[in-house]
Amino acid sequence: MIKLFNISKSYINGIKVLDDVSLHIRPGEFVSIVGQSGTGKTTLVKVLIGEEKVDEGKVMIGDWDITNIRRNEVPYLRRQIGVIFQDFKLLPRKTLKENVSFALEVCGRSQNKINKIVPSVMKIVGLEEEQNRYPGEVSGGEQQRTAIARALVHQPKILLADEPTGNLDTINAEEIIDLLLRINNFGTTVILVTHNREVVNRLKKRVITMEHGRIVSDREHGKYLL
Amino acid sequence: MLLSLIRIIKFSLQDVVRNVWLSVITVTILCLALFSINTLIVAKIISQGAVDVVKDKVDISLYLKTDATEDQIMALRSDLTNMDQIKNVMYVSKKKALDFFRLKNKNNPEILQSLHELGTNPLSPSLVITPKKTEYIPDLIQKLKSLENDIIESRDFTDNTTILNKINLITRRINQIGMLIIAVFIAISLLVVYNSVRMAVYTHRKEIAIMRLVGASNYFTFMPFVFSSLIYTLASILIIISLFYPFLSLIQPYLETFFMGYNINILSYYLDNFVKMFGLQFAIVAFINIIASLLAVKKYSEV
Repeated sequence: MIKLFNISKSYINGIKVLDDVSLHIRPGEFVSIVGQSGTGKTTLVKVLIGEEKVDEGKVMIGDWDITNIRRNEVPYLRRQIGVIFQDFKLLPRKTLKENVSFALEVCGRSQNKINKIVPSVMKIVGLEEEQNRYPGEVSGGEQQRTAIARALVHQPKILLADEPTGNLDTINAEEIIDLLLRINNFGTTVILVTHNREVVNRLKKRVITMEHGRIVSDREHGKYLL
Repeated sequence: MLLSLIRIIKFSLQDVVRNVWLSVITVTILCLALFSINTLIVAKIISQGAVDVVKDKVDISLYLKTDATEDQIMALRSDLTNMDQIKNVMYVSKKKALDFFRLKNKNNPEILQSLHELGTNPLSPSLVITPKKTEYIPDLIQKLKSLENDIIESRDFTDNTTILNKINLITRRINQIGMLIIAVFIAISLLVVYNSVRMAVYTHRKEIAIMRLVGASNYFTFMPFVFSSLIYTLASILIIISLFYPFLSLIQPYLETFFMGYNINILSYYLDNFVKMFGLQFAIVAFINIIASLLAVKKYSEV
């Protein structure tokens, strides 16, 4: 599903954020990528969604080599990979339902299809009641569930979650992780980037640990080691 | 394609309405810029009209012998009218000249009394020549000086050349300075418009980032902003039209009083050139808005 071959990445200031990283994530896996701040986790996410290009190495998503992806190809990559972030990235002037529909509308899906997909996704994330409210009117957990619903509408094979529980209290964080597990059970590959020890230890899934831009540990059913 | 276009229009209208204060500010700035430009255009038209009035007053007179017959005078008039540089030749008969003299001196009883005591009409008939352009006058004067005709008694070219040179100089200066001021003002207005649109797009940078994040194509990312720009431009042009015509109607009576007897009608000028004036303004402002939107969207869509 995702194959990284010896990728390295430095920023203009010369700091190497990814250093010879190789990785293979199989379809349907639930992988946690952990590490302290500044270890290259977020850069790795950016590489996977085509926001950053690597200086060395090769990045494959399925059969698609995105190492040197062109700017006009990025939208098509983004439709295959769902992404959620710590700060939810919702449009404050659109309702929760509109935020989710938006992802389909901008990709040119027909209204009939949107009317069919959106309610079912809202049901999966448990937001049928709140769908006509604005992001500012609901809790952080509900906002993150909206972001997950938006990420799911394209029925992606991969869901990238970059610190999805960072802004949430324990109860909401657990709900989000449970939701990610459910999505994983449907067959979607989930990559969870986090430094939340409790979350990782509770999952008992594959854990990749990063330090100074390198993978220092990769264990099936692992624990948060740092 | 049609579906995408409908959605672009929908997002754009939604954006204009939901960010109503930003829309109001952008349209207000556009209106102020357009009002300033139109005011300068009006000032230019009025100053040009004023110069034309002065130029119109400059004419050349040929005074004819009192015994010249009507046929001789008409033949000379016809010869003059055929000259390329001449716009109009007015025949002032002895009687007309006397009437005009009396009217001109109606408040001067001593002159009128002297005229009465003379008992006859001492004034000569004349041909008053109006050139097509003031620039032609020096050349025309040369031609008239060399014109051989027995009925010409005297030629009045008094100091016309000096006055005309001054008028031409003033006209050129007014045009140059006017154009310079308008150009500077247009440049400033366009910069203000450009920045206000960029600011509007800057406030949407989060939205642009999210559009890119969820897989919107480049076309879909920038088109709603381009369409919003067109809405802002159209709204500001309509507001300016609705404000500017009453403004012109208000100043027109004052202009008519000031330029009494001359046809300076700024309102009808604007009405006659409606499509050209506002169409061009719409095209230029829309162009600037679209460029500003595209540059700003490009800057904030690097996600």
